[in-house]
Amino acid sequence: MASVTATRTGAERVRRQPRPVAGFWPTTPALFLLLVFFVAPVVGLLLRSVLDPQPGFSNYAEVFGSTTYLRVFTNTFVVAGLVTLATLLLAFPVAWFLAIAPRRWSSLLFGIIILSMWTNLLTRTYAWMVLLQRTGVINKALMDLGLISAPLPLINNLAGVTIGMTYIMLPFMILPLHSTIRTLDPALCRAAALCGASPLQVFAGVFLPLVASGLGAGILMVFVMSLGYFVTPALLGGTANMMLAELIAQLVQSLLNWGLAGAAAVVLLVVTLTIYAIQLRLFGFGVGHEVE
Amino acid sequence: MTASKFLFAGALGLGLLGACGGASARDMVFTSWGGTTQDAQKQAWVAPFEKSSGLTVKLDGPTDYGKLKAMVDSGNVEWDVVDVEGDFAAAAAKTGLLEPLDFSVINKSELDPRFTAADYIGSFYYSFVLGYNKDALGGKEPKTWADLFDTKTYPGKRTFYKWSAPGVLEIALLADGVPADKLYPLDLDRAFKKLDTIKSDIVWWSGGAQSQQLLASGEAPIGAFWNGRVFAVQKDVPNVGLSWNQNLTAADVLVVPKGAKNKAEAMKFLAEASSAKPQADFASLTSYAPINTQSAKLMPAAEAATLPDQHTASQINLDMTYWAAHRDEIGKRWYDWQAK
Repeated sequence: MASVTATRTGAERVRRQPRPVAGFWPTTPALFLLLVFFVAPVVGLLLRSVLDPQPGFSNYAEVFGSTTYLRVFTNTFVVAGLVTLATLLLAFPVAWFLAIAPRRWSSLLFGIIILSMWTNLLTRTYAWMVLLQRTGVINKALMDLGLISAPLPLINNLAGVTIGMTYIMLPFMILPLHSTIRTLDPALCRAAALCGASPLQVFAGVFLPLVASGLGAGILMVFVMSLGYFVTPALLGGTANMMLAELIAQLVQSLLNWGLAGAAAVVLLVVTLTIYAIQLRLFGFGVGHEVE
Repeated sequence: MTASKFLFAGALGLGLLGACGGASARDMVFTSWGGTTQDAQKQAWVAPFEKSSGLTVKLDGPTDYGKLKAMVDSGNVEWDVVDVEGDFAAAAAKTGLLEPLDFSVINKSELDPRFTAADYIGSFYYSFVLGYNKDALGGKEPKTWADLFDTKTYPGKRTFYKWSAPGVLEIALLADGVPADKLYPLDLDRAFKKLDTIKSDIVWWSGGAQSQQLLASGEAPIGAFWNGRVFAVQKDVPNVGLSWNQNLTAADVLVVPKGAKNKAEAMKFLAEASSAKPQADFASLTSYAPINTQSAKLMPAAEAATLPDQHTASQINLDMTYWAAHRDEIGKRWYDWQAK
């Protein structure tokens, strides 16, 4: 009897899961593209960082030995951290509203979010320049209202980069958060409240753990994307807030020092993968699995 | 060529693979900076050249030194003629990135010797000038580079070219009282110390269009600009002025990357582009100066008067040879200083 059950469940499992081989072949074109245009150049980059101009680790010694480069690394993490925090605070209420609002309202809001993502990045960044500069809309309005007497420094500094990037990253936090909040059973929170949990306890003890995977995915996505961001920091930041991607572009295009650029890029890649590994540890595989 | 070089070149120049089926033997590719400059080059140089030679010139851009190096390193050079900055050309010639030019095809005798060498000829030249917005300065008109550092008399942001290139360091030294004939070799310590005095008031412009916007809006009411850009702003904002006092000349030059596929055609194109009439036409369109000594007399007097070669009394030539020798060292120090 026992053996019959075992066989049946075994057969069911085979039937339900597609055969691995049949599932693998359709992925080969995409894998091939990634191999040729991503993996191979990354390996090339890695090699160049230890071979150019001479074999050894001189490029890495320079990356870690220079106070300028360390400052650029620090800037990069500070900006990515600030942007992640700001998007998190702004995205939470939006994701919540999207989940509980009547369909009409949530569709409208969704449309606005998606539309902002579809608008050209450069255009949106230039729009922020117009708003934030000393003679820009915001400063002019505040001065005309008599609220300030001299323009606020909103651009070419940390404030400018943080504002511009928070705006651009916002959808990448809202979407994963929303997709987990949507699947949440509100009855669970109600049950906790009925059992005497305070609102804070419901939030921290029931709600937060249930949305943890979406939260983790959003944080990871925004933080990692921010680490490698180029256009917005270059236009809204100052030279004192240079981020890593700008430094790499400068080394490649202006100083033609590809060995050093390779080393900086490899360090960024290693840091990114480490953060990804930590995230996997803490939150599992993120949204994809939670939605299933 | 090592494997790593090949792979990295592949990473940088995805365009190279895509361009495999590009230019045929009778075509050639001319790469420049895009925008109004390249439009003018197309009109003044490319169109007449296509007519007289029967060749087709494909335009590409913008110029990217990383891409140029990647092409030469990988042996797949898609660009035949490239418009680059003078100091880059002088440095690239040393590291073997450029083909020597054929002066049996190009008429060297008419070309301004300041911008001509074995591996490059001038494309056009321009001056760094002091530009200002009178409205934003309360009607005051600065005159000298020293005024650019005088934040008491001329308050507000000042703007300079962002990248490590000839110009800003020289301006700092002139403002600090270094005589024009004692500029080189540059006293870098002194230049950076002078720049430190206004560092928090500096807004950098990374391209010509941005410099125009900063000047026109008064976002930065004073700064060092390419002369052609100030003229462009003056057309719309009459209260913008400039001072030619100690204007600093620099040039864009035309080069042929090492291993270019259509070398012979490239030389013919250079001959045409640097000849008197096309140079005069380009200058009329842009307010940048011709590098052909015979061009000015072909231009209307009013247009010729706006060119840097009418303001030679206190003019200073930026020293490209010095910059070619010290480009890397200065670049490193420049970006370190900026990031501080």
